[in-house]
Amino acid sequence: MEEKYQMPGFSKELQEQFDSIYLDTDGYKKIFQIMNLSRAFDRECNRILKQGKMVPHFHSGIGQEALMVASVFPLRTTDQIIYTHRGYGHLLAKGVSILEIVLDTFMKAGGTNYGLGGNMHVTRPDLGIPGREGVFGTRFGIAAGIALAAQLNNSDQVTLCFYGEAAGARGILYESLNMAVLWKLPVVFIAENNGWSFSSKTKWLFPQSRMSRVWRGFDIPVVEFDGNDVEATYSAVSQAINLAREGNGPSVIEGITYRVDPHIWYDDAHYQSNDEISLWESRDPIEIARQKLIERSVDPVTLDQIVDLAFNQVCDAFEIAENSPEATWNDSKLAVI
Amino acid sequence: MTTLTTREAIGLVLAEEMTRDPKVVYLGETIRDIGATGASRGLFDQFGPARIIETPVSENGFFGAALGLALSGFSPVIEIYSADFALIVANEIINDFPKWRQQQRHYGPLPVTIRGWMGASGGLGPEHSQCMEAYFHHAPGLTVIAPGTMTDMAGLLRSAIRSSDPVLFLEHRRIYEMSGVYPANADYCIEIGCGEIIRDGIDITMVAWSHMRHVALEAAQNLENESISVEVIDPKTIKPMDYSLIAASVEKTGRLIVIEESPLTGSIGGEIVARMVEGVDRGMVATRVAMPDMIHPYSASMEKQILPDSDLVIKASKKLINSRAIGAITKNPFL
Repeated sequence: MEEKYQMPGFSKELQEQFDSIYLDTDGYKKIFQIMNLSRAFDRECNRILKQGKMVPHFHSGIGQEALMVASVFPLRTTDQIIYTHRGYGHLLAKGVSILEIVLDTFMKAGGTNYGLGGNMHVTRPDLGIPGREGVFGTRFGIAAGIALAAQLNNSDQVTLCFYGEAAGARGILYESLNMAVLWKLPVVFIAENNGWSFSSKTKWLFPQSRMSRVWRGFDIPVVEFDGNDVEATYSAVSQAINLAREGNGPSVIEGITYRVDPHIWYDDAHYQSNDEISLWESRDPIEIARQKLIERSVDPVTLDQIVDLAFNQVCDAFEIAENSPEATWNDSKLAVI
Repeated sequence: MTTLTTREAIGLVLAEEMTRDPKVVYLGETIRDIGATGASRGLFDQFGPARIIETPVSENGFFGAALGLALSGFSPVIEIYSADFALIVANEIINDFPKWRQQQRHYGPLPVTIRGWMGASGGLGPEHSQCMEAYFHHAPGLTVIAPGTMTDMAGLLRSAIRSSDPVLFLEHRRIYEMSGVYPANADYCIEIGCGEIIRDGIDITMVAWSHMRHVALEAAQNLENESISVEVIDPKTIKPMDYSLIAASVEKTGRLIVIEESPLTGSIGGEIVARMVEGVDRGMVATRVAMPDMIHPYSASMEKQILPDSDLVIKASKKLINSRAIGAITKNPFL
């Protein structure tokens, strides 16, 4: 008999350490806008999936927008991210256009990778997005290597390496973290604890259901925060970024969030209980952000306009993509070895 | 004219390339001292910790880091302690480097050179004796090189480091103690993908690389006494293989033997024979000399009983010269 689902709690002590960096209202509004763009894209994909159309390799990030967007938001253009396959908020927050993501998703000409990588390998080195590996795990080594390059170049560039339950269980995280600590590399590892690894509960895979606690042994900052709260995320990640930028080496920080949608389009998510989903829907990061912004005296009409604009931008991008030509080997000639 | 051992030559190429290009960095285990092969002796003193980056025994970690460095404008050379251990990082070598290269070739080069020593050298046992080229030549987008002399090591290692693509560079242990004249030109490169006719002949074409090149040459010299004229080709690069050079020779001789240190099944020789049968427009007979499908023993004398040698190549050649079809030739240690 499964025990009744309980929302994960947060250590107040751990959270308070990282509640110190203030997010101004303009920044908050910008984050709210990108979160809505990410949400609108996922909703549009869900809608056309329901019509029986294919959306190749689409992994919905609904419910995780605060963690994705507020983590990337404090970065500079020259800072690097290794994103996860779930959700497109990391990419949007780093400056990739919604049109490029839609074109890559549907293997159209004009995306970032000519149909060779789809939305799984969106690549914009000029925006600090070097790409993503196909077998989860190499990301940790890559992130350490990019951070090592920054160190060798005497640059103050920082690398954020996002990871989920799958990559985070592979041994290369230990190997890369060991090197990152040993060499004081400017890298932040961000665990996205969304409760599930496809159909496996996080608590079946990690002790105490936490993906970061094991790394306390490295004597580096290991912090958990409410990944559905924009301010908590912004503050925790900003602090870790600052430590890295100032030469203090890596941190491992873990945002607690929840994957509201199924793993992928063909998954019926029969293993996810309605109670669990509705509990988390009541903690919808976009709704929380909206309330907080209203508390900060932002006009609700302005917020509605942001939501509408995001929806329209996504609709426009899908329409352009629909009328764009398929990527072909000839487009990608340069990419063929 | 400087005469050097292969070990010294590899160290010197590394030093010269690191001097030429500040973006060349070297990563691996124990390289702060002399490294697995002894090739990095003195490099740490010369270049310091920012260029000679000693890593923990974390192959996945530092191979991944090499990819991150390459994506950041560096040209990493990574040493695998024994080429057999490349299987630990087969995911990085096969799934990451070449595929990343394809997916974003339009954004820039991906220069990663992986060097490791390999091959049977007398009693190192099953996990430190294998020739690794056959495991990796199947992978699209990966360049695989296995030179057979000190000069070729120098010229091809330099080309590998300067290449824009990921390269697996395999150095046979038995070549390490061999000496040669080190090319005085610090830009001496051998083109990747180009084989060489290292002995002219008209009756049989032998294809052999790495240590087996020397076995083939020895057999060819002996066969000359019996009036069998052998042409020996060292392809040097395993992938892309110089098939046109081999085909031109087989068109002349009509007979082909591929000599390979690895087990027969799934061998490079199988691919070469298939390509020649498919592509050479004349009657021909072909066979392979290889190790039987067995695992290396720890005993050096038992190992000798399964490795191809010149006597086996001579035996195969004599059979071939008088046959219209012969099976592959391996030793049988149970006889």
